[in-house]
Amino acid sequence: MTVDLKIFVVDTGPLITLAVARSLDYLLLINADVIIPDAVLHEATFDASRLGAQDIIEWVKAHRNRIEIAPTRAYQVFDAARASIANLHEPDLGERAAVEVIEEPDRLLGDERGLLLCEETAVLRRVVVQDRGRIVELSTLDFLRLLEMEQRIQSAEQVFELAGKAGRFPSRVEKFSRHDDATQAAIRALVSRPSGRPES
Amino acid sequence: MAIPESEALAAYSRGEMTAIELRRRLGGITYGDVLRLLSEAGLPLPRAPTAGREAQLALARKWMFPDHDG
Repeated sequence: MTVDLKIFVVDTGPLITLAVARSLDYLLLINADVIIPDAVLHEATFDASRLGAQDIIEWVKAHRNRIEIAPTRAYQVFDAARASIANLHEPDLGERAAVEVIEEPDRLLGDERGLLLCEETAVLRRVVVQDRGRIVELSTLDFLRLLEMEQRIQSAEQVFELAGKAGRFPSRVEKFSRHDDATQAAIRALVSRPSGRPES
Repeated sequence: MAIPESEALAAYSRGEMTAIELRRRLGGITYGDVLRLLSEAGLPLPRAPTAGREAQLALARKWMFPDHDG
């Protein structure tokens, strides 16, 4: 499906916040492609016992026709390095991958526009955007408020408050082991597609 | 001198520190850990002020909902 709007999920915050609030589908309420850099998906899901991780994996798998996992050089290098370095962790991997994706020259063609969905203004400051009139940065709460204004959801604050209570509920993913083999395989399959483009 | 975890969390909750900086200060924790720690501390999630971003938000709304009349 070709649309004029693309949502770039450029850090893990929106995915985890929406997953915790059981609201990931809100990303699909508008007519736009959803693009998640491979490293951002990795950061959000590499440990299935972490908050929201299992929900994010299942959501991405269920909506592969709407969601593109964008391959990046940053993640490719990281993935190669961790083959020889156990428990390798790069705190800014997702951020670097996001910058790489946004700066790809063919990401926005013609009249296409981009929404950068993130919790961090720091990401946008690192991006060299040729035409800032085509890209707008939104926080998760901004995005939810716009959906609420258009009566697509009942309450942005309710979603945010649910996420804010994350620690008060026992995690539903605690039953998953830290290195659950099936989950790890699912993540690897999601981020290793050669083209990263949505399946038709 | 490193600031205590509670102070870093409070600063993040007030919007005075980014999540990435908080995660680094707390030893490379995930954003999910940030949510959990905030919740356990009884602190609200930071809310980015919309003042000064009205035009950007209006543009985003127009792109998200091209049939919008308002």
